Amino acid sequence: MSLSSVVMYLLVCALAPLLPGIATRTKSLLTGRRGSPVWQLYADLAKLFRKGAVYSRTTTLVFRAAPVVLIATSLLAAGLLPLDGRSALLAFPGDLVGFAGLLALGRFALVLAGLDTGSSFEGMGASREVMVATFAEPALFLGFVVLALATGRMSLEEMLGVPLASVWSGSAPSLVLAAASFFMVLLAETSRVPVDDPATHLELTMIHEVMILDHSGPDLGLILLAGSLKLALFGTLVTSALVPRGGMAPFSSGLVLIAGLVVIAVGVGMVESVMARLRMNRLPQFLVAASALAGLAVILELQRP
Amino acid sequence: MSPLGLGVALILLGGVMPLIFRRRPRLGGLGFQAGLFGGGALGLYWAGSSLASSGPLAADPLSAWFVLLILAVGVPASGYGVRYLASERGHGSRAGAHGLFAVLLVALVGVATATSVGSFLIAWEVMAVSAYLLVIFECDKVESRRAGLVYLIVTHVSTLALILMFSIWSGAAPNASFAALGAAAPHLGPRLPWVLWLSLIGFCIKAGAVPVHFWLPGAHAAAPSHVSAMMSGVMIKTGIYGLLRTAQLLGVVPPWWGWLLVLLGVASGLLGVLWALAQHDLKRLLAYHSVENIGIILIGVGTGALGVSYGRPSVALLGFAGALLHTLNHGLFKSLLFLGAGVVSRAAGTLAIDRLGGLARSAPRTAAAFLLGSAAISGLPPLNGFVSEWVVARGLLTAAGGQASPRGAVVVIAGLGLIGGLAVACFTKVNGTIFLGHPRDGAVRYGPDPEPGMLAPMLALAAACVLLGALPMLGVVPATKVAELVSGYPDSGVVGSGIEGVTRLAIGVLALGIIGWAFSRWLVRRQSVAEAATWACGAVGLTARAQYTASSYADPLLTAVGPATGLRIVRQPRALSTHPTDVVLDGIARPIWNRVLSLGSRARMLQTGRLRWYLLYVVLTVSALLVYLGTKVRQP
Repeated sequence: MSLSSVVMYLLVCALAPLLPGIATRTKSLLTGRRGSPVWQLYADLAKLFRKGAVYSRTTTLVFRAAPVVLIATSLLAAGLLPLDGRSALLAFPGDLVGFAGLLALGRFALVLAGLDTGSSFEGMGASREVMVATFAEPALFLGFVVLALATGRMSLEEMLGVPLASVWSGSAPSLVLAAASFFMVLLAETSRVPVDDPATHLELTMIHEVMILDHSGPDLGLILLAGSLKLALFGTLVTSALVPRGGMAPFSSGLVLIAGLVVIAVGVGMVESVMARLRMNRLPQFLVAASALAGLAVILELQRP
Repeated sequence: MSPLGLGVALILLGGVMPLIFRRRPRLGGLGFQAGLFGGGALGLYWAGSSLASSGPLAADPLSAWFVLLILAVGVPASGYGVRYLASERGHGSRAGAHGLFAVLLVALVGVATATSVGSFLIAWEVMAVSAYLLVIFECDKVESRRAGLVYLIVTHVSTLALILMFSIWSGAAPNASFAALGAAAPHLGPRLPWVLWLSLIGFCIKAGAVPVHFWLPGAHAAAPSHVSAMMSGVMIKTGIYGLLRTAQLLGVVPPWWGWLLVLLGVASGLLGVLWALAQHDLKRLLAYHSVENIGIILIGVGTGALGVSYGRPSVALLGFAGALLHTLNHGLFKSLLFLGAGVVSRAAGTLAIDRLGGLARSAPRTAAAFLLGSAAISGLPPLNGFVSEWVVARGLLTAAGGQASPRGAVVVIAGLGLIGGLAVACFTKVNGTIFLGHPRDGAVRYGPDPEPGMLAPMLALAAACVLLGALPMLGVVPATKVAELVSGYPDSGVVGSGIEGVTRLAIGVLALGIIGWAFSRWLVRRQSVAEAATWACGAVGLTARAQYTASSYADPLLTAVGPATGLRIVRQPRALSTHPTDVVLDGIARPIWNRVLSLGSRARMLQTGRLRWYLLYVVLTVSALLVYLGTKVRQP
């Protein structure tokens, strides 16, 4: 842990809500509309945090606790990444299992909250959400395996930090493939087109949105905030695999990360404006393709002398 | 007398109490409990001190580790069992079941502590038979008897394989003690492949690994809940014990053995959890999860064996330590879940998940304990399942670190990730359908939480899951010591490195969770909190039947995976259901069994029931033997 990592952590957490705004704005501009301002999510959050909540009589404590678990795990997962390019707030060998475990814990809570309402819609959303997340899991791990093979290290801090910078040029092809796989996982995990459509208006076609249908007020705010953080987390994975920041000074490294996140948010918006969402039964194939990309990169790494 | 010997005697004494006080079941139950708690405490003390001390007189750490597992699960399960069986009516003898439970416990301890082939096999057989008798406790049900029969046949195939293995092995040794077998290991020569294959068959059958898992779901679901907890949490682990003991005695194993174990582990892990996802009887579902977790353990054992084969000490230590740790952890959370399943069947009168819903309202403590066990088995931080999967994953990652084999084993980590994701899917299904939402079947009436005596063992197991998750060194340090014995390499601190990071992660989850909870409650309280019906997107009058069921919840995942894995999805106009099919049992084991039966009925021709024929057989046998001996003596 260093001062720059703390500063970057706070900065990324504070700026994360901009990312969905940037994506939406990109889509609006590309489709010939003006669109909402990029800081729309801040306004939404401020509004939601000032509101009260309505709870279904069917729900239990699980429903109330889930948004808290989600935000806590997302914040902790961000602490495992070397946001300044050098050090993470918390690093230990094998912490990539912790990263995946934390995200899984957040999902476990949120999916249960969906089932807690006893609504057929939210059950549907929960069912689809776990399907998508389950198929995303091997792709994420294979991406980590590529990083581990390239660097020979075992913690995310090193796999994405200084050791990666020194081996980057030798493993560039496989790292680019891994980054592509991470980007596909990002689209799935953050419920964007072509996996899910955040702008859809029909509950029957939703995945993530329909699962959190009953959350209101501060609870909904926490879920939205965690969603934007997740975009930042996976964006950091993509950026770090593409641009080795281990050798840079903290300031320029931070700048590169933020620029990278903005570019990724724009990319998400561009994907959204040129593609329709996939049919529900095509989703596993999309994610298997992500695993295949990462698997190819693993093979490249294993063959490298 | 060692504390363990005294403990075993006390357990047996406790076991006969219900038989002595048959007329006064309460006194008998009390005696049973006193004996098991006292004996269990002594045994745990023995195991704990053996694992803590390092002198030459200390007991074998591998035995001590498994005794720890057996008693840590057995004692709470027995406390639960006394009350669970107290309300059973119309099945087998309750006093007999208690006695058999004590025998099973002692036989398990015997398996773990035997130092020679003879005592090992005797304990193994006593364990198998006492477990069989407990499986058919509800012998008035035909499915219990059938499951028991399948189990009995399969477990004897396993015993047969082990008898063959040990006789081949001890042929190269002066006597049949484990020490002598270990000394003879380098001189096995052409016998080594036989020993390796037979150990794999014998022990994997007992462990319930794919493809010899098919006896497991039926047997574990048929037994009373506390016995299921014992079988799923502990008894199948004797297979793991056998594999580890074999690896330890052999010293160096060829690489194919490790690769095969890893492969079996991945297959068991993935198929086990997929079948669990398609299964909607709670106890059978939990039994399939045992197949899954045995898979994770086998991945660890295989990684350890690969580390030994390729001379990579840290890979070997991490693999074995992870396997050992997951063996203990799975014992704790799986028995917790089975005890919870017993409560569900008591409270609701059914284990069919699709008929349940909203049980958390009438039984909140059971729901909380079950939820915690579910999170632990899904490998989520900050609980113990996460710690052991982390150690196994680190073993695989360490393998990737070097330039030499077994570098490619690291891709197995993606399998671990997929298993974890599917486990999350399955346990959200279980908790969401049983405990949350609305009751799905109006005919099911819900009872309250059980009496404290049944709740306390579950809470104790849940506390152990939290403790080993938040303070992982409690488990990792002794597991490392055992892994040193199994692998034959001294630990240079590689297993424990980063363990404080896991603790920090656990503290972080708890601290941020508490802060976040306070924050969100503060935000909500500042404004109005209203209660209303669940928002149904404008629809009015949705009934509880409109809820997602366990089948429909699992459907997208199962449809995507397809029928290749032996899943069956039935779509009817008014209902959807998913089922796992037992490919091995129906396709292979049953035809073989039918063949054996038809051969047997043909052999019945010999049994005429007439004395003169039997006398003829005797005369023929004796003369054949005489001829054989005569020809043999003449040779130089």
